Amino acid sequence: MTRATLIDDISDVDEVEEVPLSQQPEWADVTPLEQQDGGYPLCPIAYTDSYKELMGYMRAVMAAGEISKRAYSLTSQVIEENPAHYTVWVYRKRLVTELSLDIEAELEWLSDIAAMHPKNYQPWHHRQVLVAMLLEPQQLDETHPVIRRELRFLANAIDEDSKNFHAWSYRQWLVQRYDLWTQEGFFVDAMINQDVRNNSAWNQRYFVLVRSNRDSKVDEQKVREEIEYSLEMIKRAPNNESPWSYVVGMLLRHAPEMLHAELLPRIQRMAEESETAQAMQASPFYWSALVDVYETQAMLQDGVRDEMITLAREACAALATDHDPTRMKYWEFRSSTLKV
Amino acid sequence: MFDLAVDKHTRYFKYALGMLPSTMAQLDATRMTLGHLCLVGLAALGQLDTAFSAADRQGMIEWIYAQQVLPTPAKDNAAYCGFRGGSLFGPHESCTYAASNMGNVAATYSALASLALLGDDLGRVDRRAVTGALRHLQLDSGTFAPHPGTTESDPRFIFSACAISVLLDDWSGVDCARAAKYIAGCVNVDGGLSQASLHESHGGHFYCCIASLRLMGRMDALGDERWRRRTVQWAMMRMGDGYQGRANKPSDVCYSFWVGAGVEMLGGHAFVDAEALAAFTAQCESPYGGIGKAPGANPDPLHSALGIVGLTFFCPEFPAMDPALLLPRELVAKMHVRTASGQAI
Repeated sequence: MTRATLIDDISDVDEVEEVPLSQQPEWADVTPLEQQDGGYPLCPIAYTDSYKELMGYMRAVMAAGEISKRAYSLTSQVIEENPAHYTVWVYRKRLVTELSLDIEAELEWLSDIAAMHPKNYQPWHHRQVLVAMLLEPQQLDETHPVIRRELRFLANAIDEDSKNFHAWSYRQWLVQRYDLWTQEGFFVDAMINQDVRNNSAWNQRYFVLVRSNRDSKVDEQKVREEIEYSLEMIKRAPNNESPWSYVVGMLLRHAPEMLHAELLPRIQRMAEESETAQAMQASPFYWSALVDVYETQAMLQDGVRDEMITLAREACAALATDHDPTRMKYWEFRSSTLKV
Repeated sequence: MFDLAVDKHTRYFKYALGMLPSTMAQLDATRMTLGHLCLVGLAALGQLDTAFSAADRQGMIEWIYAQQVLPTPAKDNAAYCGFRGGSLFGPHESCTYAASNMGNVAATYSALASLALLGDDLGRVDRRAVTGALRHLQLDSGTFAPHPGTTESDPRFIFSACAISVLLDDWSGVDCARAAKYIAGCVNVDGGLSQASLHESHGGHFYCCIASLRLMGRMDALGDERWRRRTVQWAMMRMGDGYQGRANKPSDVCYSFWVGAGVEMLGGHAFVDAEALAAFTAQCESPYGGIGKAPGANPDPLHSALGIVGLTFFCPEFPAMDPALLLPRELVAKMHVRTASGQAI
């Protein structure tokens, strides 16, 4: 950036911030509405003078429901200061619609707001509404510019905070509405590969597994692939809750008989092979998986019940005494729920 | 049993109720909730009765009632009634555009709970208007929107609607069967609960779901005994030094309540390592009073109140708090409130 443009930029910012609304001719016809806080307000905020003035004008135009460009620019300023102002978002949506404003520009502004206030729900919902207005589900594929822009925006947000709850939620909406399953499979693989402990990514994996088929069925071939993948990730870091919850939960729901037949021999082998034995044996999640495997088998197979319950109880005891003593009382309780 | 700096925290809550710094302007629309949490914190410390003069109490009660959005003479704002999140909105009589003056179910819950904490009998609440608005805000899926005109909707607002119904002893605003069905869909394969089907399990939504089911008398929606145990296990696995809100995330004091209260409601009290929780809370206490989300973080009313309540589940010398309503059990008993299925809470 050259020196001249830098100075230009700075003076631009100064201009917007320095002239109070009360001295701008554009606002001469509006009387700000004072805040009425009564004699004993709860948690009053020591507002800055500029915030107080801004809110006075906001109340005035909004009370009347004024539909104008200046009202729209006022909502931008208010949201930048106070993104949880729930009625302003409703008003802004109306302004965008009734003034037929440029939705692309609105999305660009929103990206900055989401970056400034990553924990707020509202910008994400506003975004969802705008994208839905822009694009009907049937008119596109992954290369559509709007979709590409949204995926790029999300990749950035997730790059900034790989467990951003709102970003992953919005992704689910986008992927489902516009049928973006193939790229989502790749994205989830990449995210887990980058951080095998990213539970948000593991959750998204299950979402893709279940929803990418029209009838929500998970066939045996798919289940086998997912067992394979999970074990590979467990091998990288056996003391990582996410892949264990994923693989045990998936099998409990979709193929409980495979817990004993497929998963058990594989994890037992990993617990014995010299390369992985020590870390596997030390992982509470390995022992916890054994409890679920044996308990499930006791319910599924006649004739082995006593044996399976005994094994499950041994795993609980190992957790209580050696591998997860923080939850000792829980594992003792869990053992007591296993009925012969 | 555990040390809590009662005097310092009491001062902190009173101070926060009296003035927050300008940097908290982004909480301007949730002041009702902040005030509620300060009152909850004082109640959990056993200090609420002595903290304020009768005149101060009355002043706070008046401020809360001033946020009530009442039906207009034309009765064209039925979905907008309830309590507003603060006083930043225009004066009621000036607002001709309905969306400029609307309640929010989370704020309505906080307002009713705060009024009860301050000793008000809720006599000036327009009950029909409040429950009427709830009927407008419940969606076909069973979940609730916080107010009209948004696509936001999740278990935070189901919980608010349930707590409102309990406090008003009027369930006509909630279709419990549909709400319970929505929550059943939030149960994840890991046993946790989320904001919607197949979203990531999250301590905050877990709390809202469990507390809603408790208030509706519909714990059965969690599934059979095995799945219910899996939910208990998910919550137990959140326990490390303190509680985390999601798997593989750092501990945060607010989950001492969000997850901890869920554990209480699911019958897991005896499994908790209370000493570890007390040690973590102590690390998050500010030397000047108040509690931050993690060691070294600045205190705020939410983490202060929820950290204290989460810990007092294990401190018999402090007032017992009801985990589903976030109110002292003594007050709850006095109000004779009931679940949707008619049981005493």
